[in-house]
Amino acid sequence: MSATTYSSIPGAAKNETVAQRLSNRRRRSDTIVKYLCILATLIGLVMLASILFTLLVKGVGGLSLSVFTTMTKPPGSGGGLLNAILGTLIQTVIGTAVGTPIGLMVGTYLAEYGQGSKIADIVRFVSDILLSAPSILIGLFVYQFLVEPVGGFSGIAGSLALAIIVIPIVVRTTEDMLHLIPATLREAAIGLGAPKWKMITLICYRSAKEGIVTGVLLAIARIAGETAPLLFTSLGNSSALGGMGSPMASLPVAIYQYAGSAFEDWVQLAWVGALLITVGVLTINILARFALRGKR
Amino acid sequence: MSTTMNDQQGSHGGVQVRSASAIGKSSIEISELDFYYGTHKALKQINLNLPDKQVTGMIGPSGCGKSTLLRVLNRMYDLYPGQKAVGKVMMDGQNIIDPGVDLNALRARIGMVFQKPTPFPMTLYDNIAFGVRLHEKLSKAEMDERVEWSLTRAALWGEVKDRLNTSAMGLSGGQQQRLCIARTIAVRPEVILLDEPTSALDPISTLKVEELIDELKHDFTIAIVTHNMQQAARCADQVAFFYIGEMVEVGPAEQIFTAPKEKRTQEYVTGRFG
Repeated sequence: MSATTYSSIPGAAKNETVAQRLSNRRRRSDTIVKYLCILATLIGLVMLASILFTLLVKGVGGLSLSVFTTMTKPPGSGGGLLNAILGTLIQTVIGTAVGTPIGLMVGTYLAEYGQGSKIADIVRFVSDILLSAPSILIGLFVYQFLVEPVGGFSGIAGSLALAIIVIPIVVRTTEDMLHLIPATLREAAIGLGAPKWKMITLICYRSAKEGIVTGVLLAIARIAGETAPLLFTSLGNSSALGGMGSPMASLPVAIYQYAGSAFEDWVQLAWVGALLITVGVLTINILARFALRGKR
Repeated sequence: MSTTMNDQQGSHGGVQVRSASAIGKSSIEISELDFYYGTHKALKQINLNLPDKQVTGMIGPSGCGKSTLLRVLNRMYDLYPGQKAVGKVMMDGQNIIDPGVDLNALRARIGMVFQKPTPFPMTLYDNIAFGVRLHEKLSKAEMDERVEWSLTRAALWGEVKDRLNTSAMGLSGGQQQRLCIARTIAVRPEVILLDEPTSALDPISTLKVEELIDELKHDFTIAIVTHNMQQAARCADQVAFFYIGEMVEVGPAEQIFTAPKEKRTQEYVTGRFG
């Protein structure tokens, strides 16, 4: 060891008070940043908690068995939300079932086959635009191409609009998750003599499973609460479920219509509907988390 | 049938003395091989034979082309556009770098183990069965037998026989690497390529893999890339020294390490550069 000490280095803070002052200042700014972060977190949490609290207070009061067992009736005659609940379930399931495979395949193309190709760049760009497009535009699009030519609102149109929202979400997560897989894992599968499609389906999908499933769940959570694209497509139905070929009820549209109505029992139904959607989406997320954790 | 292969294992024990004269028939004959990454020429006029059922060690400083050569032998470079090999790599009278070669069949004959263990995210059993299922239709009993055989050959059976249906991700690094070796030999290749197979392992795991290599060469032709000179000396029958894309010298391991003909080889093996 050499005998060099810090005080002998030219320009070093020889003077205790300078070092002390710098140290104090660093500590002070550290503390300020820390408390700013905590404050920001608290603001976010308080907002979320107050939303949930309001939902609970206003929604729980209206909960009863009849909400789940009866269709909506004219104001004042005590109907439930069965049609809207079923309508949301049906349209969300069909939208997910149609959108997920398409999104999965597009994402796979982008990550596995389209490296460096112009077409892939364009597809990726368009998909990302679609991802951030206002959902009302997607509703208008389906209205233009399906509802108007056929001459009527329908459950099919609503499901299709939701599927179009699902596609870019699944494309993005699938591509991102596949990109995270190390090249060596792919090479290991190829090195055993696996054709590329088997490498993708048997090895890559399996490795990326958690991420892809999370993407699909995000998509479900998103479309379960979408209102705008349904207004132009399945329209909503405040007396019956409706069908694939006729206007179909859904929870978000019911909330939209009833919350602004002049009838007290309908406003109450809107609160119940909002609570149901929130609890439903929350439950899907929590269940999926547990299911995925168990697999690991 | 896997039963006949079962009979081959067992009695070949410890370390045998390397003899310079044991080099006979070649499994793979490489001649005038050039390789390009885009426009960069990474291998220049390589001539090398891999003797049948022997271990060929490939040594040389980083970037000298030894791993590239391994990746030519099983056509791994085909995955990446812009990489190109020119020349002859003959195996059973066929030039394996010809465009018409059935790559999946080729890779079943020439297996590869990578630097980092690459277990698939599935059970131990399925890790082994994955490769086998690609090329053969076996009954459940036959598959069980094949899994046991390959794990036994990879000196892993005793450690894992009670947890075949648990995830391979739970194994230690050394066990994972032996699993990857088991997975490769389960397909029953003729040649096994090992790309720095122990560089991510601890000394004890390294020792196990080296003993394994010694055992496996009774049945397989092996090419091993290594940065570890002692490892090359311990494992290889024949050693090839590479330097900036050229193969400087090849010879019996003993000669390369004790009496190399080329000055560059001597400087490298004595640790003066690289």
